[in-house]
Amino acid sequence: MEISNNPRPNDVQPTALRRMTFIWMFTMLTLFPVLLVLGFFMRALQANFMSKLQPEWFYAVLTLHGLGMVGIWYVGSMAGVSYLLGRYVRPSLAISKVAFGATLLGVVLLLACTLIGRMGVGWYFLYPLPLHSKGVWPPWATGAFLGSLAVFGVGWTLWSLDLLRAIAQRYSFSAAMAWHYLKGRSEPEVPPLVLIVTVSMVSALAGFVAAVVVLVLYVAEWLGTGFTNDALLMKNLTFFFGHVLVNITMYLGVAMVYELLPAYAQRPWKTNKVMALAWNTVLFLVMFAYLHHLYMDFAQPHWLQYLGQIASYMISVPAAVVSIFGALVLVYGSRMRWNMVSLLLCFGVMGWAIGGVAAVIDSTVAVNVRFHNTLWVPAHFHTYYLMGVVLMILGFASYLGEERGQLAERMGLTKLTVSLIVVGGYGFLLMFYYGGAHSVPRRYASYPQEVAQGAAYARLALVFISALLLGVLLYLWDTGRRCWRSFSVSS
Amino acid sequence: MISTMTPSGAGFRNLLQIGILLLVLASPLSAQQNITAASVLPDEGRYANRPFPNIVAQSLQRQRFQLSEIWREKPVLLTLVFTRCAGICSPFLMSLKSAVDALGGLGSEYRVVVLSFDPRDTPSDMAALAKHIGVSSNGDWIFGTSTAAEIERIAQSTGFWFRWDAERIQFDHPAMLVGVRAGRIARLLVGGEVLPVRLKEVVDELRGEFVPAYPLPGRALFRCFQYDPAVRRFKPDWGFLLLLLPGCTALFGTFWVFHSARKTPDDSPSLSP
Repeated sequence: MEISNNPRPNDVQPTALRRMTFIWMFTMLTLFPVLLVLGFFMRALQANFMSKLQPEWFYAVLTLHGLGMVGIWYVGSMAGVSYLLGRYVRPSLAISKVAFGATLLGVVLLLACTLIGRMGVGWYFLYPLPLHSKGVWPPWATGAFLGSLAVFGVGWTLWSLDLLRAIAQRYSFSAAMAWHYLKGRSEPEVPPLVLIVTVSMVSALAGFVAAVVVLVLYVAEWLGTGFTNDALLMKNLTFFFGHVLVNITMYLGVAMVYELLPAYAQRPWKTNKVMALAWNTVLFLVMFAYLHHLYMDFAQPHWLQYLGQIASYMISVPAAVVSIFGALVLVYGSRMRWNMVSLLLCFGVMGWAIGGVAAVIDSTVAVNVRFHNTLWVPAHFHTYYLMGVVLMILGFASYLGEERGQLAERMGLTKLTVSLIVVGGYGFLLMFYYGGAHSVPRRYASYPQEVAQGAAYARLALVFISALLLGVLLYLWDTGRRCWRSFSVSS
Repeated sequence: MISTMTPSGAGFRNLLQIGILLLVLASPLSAQQNITAASVLPDEGRYANRPFPNIVAQSLQRQRFQLSEIWREKPVLLTLVFTRCAGICSPFLMSLKSAVDALGGLGSEYRVVVLSFDPRDTPSDMAALAKHIGVSSNGDWIFGTSTAAEIERIAQSTGFWFRWDAERIQFDHPAMLVGVRAGRIARLLVGGEVLPVRLKEVVDELRGEFVPAYPLPGRALFRCFQYDPAVRRFKPDWGFLLLLLPGCTALFGTFWVFHSARKTPDDSPSLSP
């Protein structure tokens, strides 16, 4: 099936790249339901269904669930764009394998430090918590945790550099950034995928450098040299890394939408002046938007807080006006071919839009004062993640399974699967939003009497998570068998 | 945390140490001494906002009095010394006097209470110390003594400690200044020298003003910002450069990749506008 809207010199991706992409997808789709069950477990704890369990388990699972989800979707999106990028440039297969090995090693270390060591610092591992276990987790768990981050960081930095290298072998930097479109020229043609991946990889490098600095500072203190860190500096660096990582995962998901959706709408979606301006602006603003994570830090100078507010508002404009509006225009009135891929991609864009609005609300200082530590926070990031980029990546995995068209899709099953995912997902999110709007705090293993309503919301959420889990299992069964068939043919 | 490390953890950490050592060689070997010193200092974070014990003390001027009689009228800066100290006590009090003189506000905004933790000291000894410091004529400097039990209550509430060193025939103890407002610990300043700028932060807190940031004792080499209470502004510090590092490195790295990449021939030609 003709999918892309752009000319491509390397039309057929090498079989080896295709096989590697399948391996990435199988790994990701294996870990996804496991991590989803861990989310169910946490909400069950909050619903007081396992009140005898030590709360340390909640925080250990919170850490594994958070880092695991962020990690698998990052590598999922990277694997997806690497494959699609193969239409235009040649990413290195060896580097992809190195990244895969590093990811597996990092996952093993992460599993050890959380499930065996019971390290419970959250995915944001805010300073100085990892250094002060108070006997809850052993010192080796801190080492394994920092080690896993280091291994992830090395593998993923190499992967990011390699995608940039691959792009650089065909495009100059100004071409890859589509600067000539800003001057009114449309030649040479640059696919949106190349533009977005370039922007994302530059941002990713910045994020990974921030992570390296954080890790070095952590280890310097951990070694007991007497060196202590500035908590404000550590928080700035940690959220710079974390926010950028999550943002570029979304951008990479959107890049896949740009690349795949036109074929289903049977219309082209090409780079233009507005798109070039939007994504260049994103590269600048993404460096400052993280500052909204530090609104509650009164030691942060006011001018940085203002900068965070402005950047957070402004960064939503390129996304909303160009990508979301662009996707709507692309689909509206088109002869859309609806199937699992196009449905998931479109629902993914919808989740990105809804989560984005919730994020902008929370990034407003006056609102953040109330919402900062409530369930509103997991509500918004689960929206643009679970119902946004995750659906986009699942859409890509389905595309991979149908690309060679070995097994026909059953639309009845597709509709049921997507309905369960969407209804279950948004019902689960609604409980987060409702809890947040009613001041139910986040990160509580169990709710005290003052916010006992949190347990009731968690119980309702469990019903919706069950529906979501069922939808995901149906997806895995249906897409999995088609991917496996396609993988077997590739082999 | 370090002292609770298990043998298996130690092995893992040693491996990491080798890898990281080069990056942290800047930390001097003498740092170990600083850990020892820093680890025994009263920890402000642990005691701030806790109730301060309303002990009974005595001085030559006031005879017997409760601390609450003083803090009900004005906030109190309180410190513990002993008159036979051959070490930090006198320099510390001189430094405090100098900072108080520079800052002003004594009597109108706060009072200073200096108590002895040495059971041998008498109110007369403390009066002599006040004279030595040059504040005996100032009624807002209150030098007094108390019972061992009452002093122990203060020590328990603030993390202050003192231990007799028979070899030196001296007490070993830290230098500490406690800011008490309405019976609660507002601030706890630790260290042998009282700088006017640090004392201003404490007095501002005693007045009920919000002081957004101040440095804690320790060896944080890279701070994002320093807060200057004199002008109430933040100034970028060395750590701020570390915040700029990721963006700058990414840009330079990207330019390097694009500059050094060999363009592929034929089927995927270089595209330059």
